[in-house]
Amino acid sequence: MLSSLLQVAQFTALLAAAVALLELYLHVHFTLFEREWFLPGTVLAAGLLAAGAGRSLPLTLAAASVQLVAALVFKHVVRGRHSLPIMLLAPGFIGLAMLIAYPLFFEVYLAFHDLKLTTIMAWSRTGELPFAGFKHFAKVFTSSPLASVTFWELFGRTVWWTFINVSCHVAGGFVLALLLSKVQRFRGIYRTFLVIPWAMPQVVAILALRGEFHSQYGFVNIMLARMGLSPVEWLTLHPLLTCTLINVWLGIPFMMVVILGGLQSISQHYYDAAAIDGASAWQQLRHITVPLLRPVLGPAVTLGTVWTFNNINVIYLVTGQAGGTEDADILVSALYKAAFTFYRYSYSAALAIVIFLILFALSLLWLKFSKGSESVYG
Amino acid sequence: MAERARAKNVLLHAALVAACIVSVYPMLRMIAVSLRPGDRLLSTDLSLIPAGASLAAYGRVLAETNFLLWLWNSLVITTVTSFIGVSLAATAGYAFSRFRFPGSKLGLTLLLGTQMIPAGMLLLPLFLMIMRLGLVNTYLGMIVAYSVTSLPFSIWILKGYYDTIPRSLEEAALVDGTTRFGAFYRIVLPLSTPALSIAFLFNFTQAWNEYLVARVVLCDASKYTWTLGLFELQGQFLTQWGMFAAGSFLVTIPVLLLFLYSSKWLVSGLTLGGVKG
Repeated sequence: MLSSLLQVAQFTALLAAAVALLELYLHVHFTLFEREWFLPGTVLAAGLLAAGAGRSLPLTLAAASVQLVAALVFKHVVRGRHSLPIMLLAPGFIGLAMLIAYPLFFEVYLAFHDLKLTTIMAWSRTGELPFAGFKHFAKVFTSSPLASVTFWELFGRTVWWTFINVSCHVAGGFVLALLLSKVQRFRGIYRTFLVIPWAMPQVVAILALRGEFHSQYGFVNIMLARMGLSPVEWLTLHPLLTCTLINVWLGIPFMMVVILGGLQSISQHYYDAAAIDGASAWQQLRHITVPLLRPVLGPAVTLGTVWTFNNINVIYLVTGQAGGTEDADILVSALYKAAFTFYRYSYSAALAIVIFLILFALSLLWLKFSKGSESVYG
Repeated sequence: MAERARAKNVLLHAALVAACIVSVYPMLRMIAVSLRPGDRLLSTDLSLIPAGASLAAYGRVLAETNFLLWLWNSLVITTVTSFIGVSLAATAGYAFSRFRFPGSKLGLTLLLGTQMIPAGMLLLPLFLMIMRLGLVNTYLGMIVAYSVTSLPFSIWILKGYYDTIPRSLEEAALVDGTTRFGAFYRIVLPLSTPALSIAFLFNFTQAWNEYLVARVVLCDASKYTWTLGLFELQGQFLTQWGMFAAGSFLVTIPVLLLFLYSSKWLVSGLTLGGVKG
């Protein structure tokens, strides 16, 4: 335990040193770019440093040429401008580049090569992989990511899952927010209790609810039995329905809070004016509340859709144990299982890219659609 | 008329109370199960305080499992990642808030775009990178994997907050002879303590509650975070239910309180980011 703490401390110190070095490098380039010796001096320094560290000619030449390009950029393009924002952004930018952008490129590389359990040892020694072309992409559509469920079934389930969940979240959140906005007393207390599903750690909430769907000792079947109905095998026969129920319960509070915020920003004057004109409660809802909620609801629904589409947690925690069913899996949870339960690395990289492209296409469509409706309501 | 309004009000409250019961009940059940005596763990009893209630399950989860060790592991990993995340976001958010430079608009949009990438998609290459660096099953591997996941969102929150701080304060400091960075460090940063703590809290809860990455990176039970540990306990559902419930309750309480305290800011941050993007 102590040694791993020490390792963490070392790492933090190293990280701080790296950031300091980076800033020093930038500072030198921003302040000294006009000196005559700037270009030859920094290129020579980079070359010497690389030669000292690696003792190999190709490395030295590479470092020197990279530095030459960088120095030219600083001398002729940047010319000392935007120095502070660049220095402020550099550490975060490099972090994102290394941990988000690079993995994305690596994923593409993996999808076109062959990494699986039989080649992983060789890969970790040499870093080389056999080329596979579009083989894995073809397999995405022809073979199952898991045992028998097909890509198209998963796709259909994902659409169903996203649509049902988001509609229930918005409908439930809307009703609760409306109720909350109408009461005067105890509003704060109700609100606090109602956000609990969102506030609980998700892992705890999902695992606890999973227990409540247990066929014998779970709350749901106990209640069914007391009402004289026969118990239902939720986890084995209706896993997707169970996951959906759990996720609906989890997701309503977020929408409720967002919609409540939107409701409170609508001026009372509109309703007063409508009441004088004799508008019924339903008409007020239809023609005042709903249109005026649009600016709040738009981003919330977009976010909710992306989150639901990408939600692995609920399905994996409910069905992910050894011997778990695959009848509830959607695209992303199948992706997770293909990679980390079945160790089909390159295959799952190809699947991930296909999923990403689907999501990208859907969001372009959505953007176009919402732009169109904006012009109607704008 | 007054009668009707009254009836309507009663109905409203009744509906809200019913909704509250649905939202709180699973947690009450968790408490009820955690209080069950060991010999009556499996029963179809629905009462909230079970007969013969005892705190034995709490004692057992603390003494017989590695629960405290799991909490400690989570705490180390989460604190370091949140610290890294907030430091990176604090400066980046300031750059986006105060400066116009080529690509500043695009950069902000791209940050939102990263939220679209499926988590499972980044996980595989990240895991392979961590494996090649020899960081599987270490705190460090987890810290590397977590450190930038909340960065885009934190940058948005902090940028939004910096935008509300008047520039005249920094200008006054510049007149008094500080550098541009000094104005940020001495004036803006201290004024942003509320936003910084919210960003820290957001990073913290994200990493604290994370399960899927931990499942992949950690394989040794002594390095488990609490999410992995509880999953293990829940897996042995029939024998360990009471201990699982007790552990869950202990973890939930602090998270719940922190969340209730911070939710107001989180939501305004979320919608702010969404509307402006």
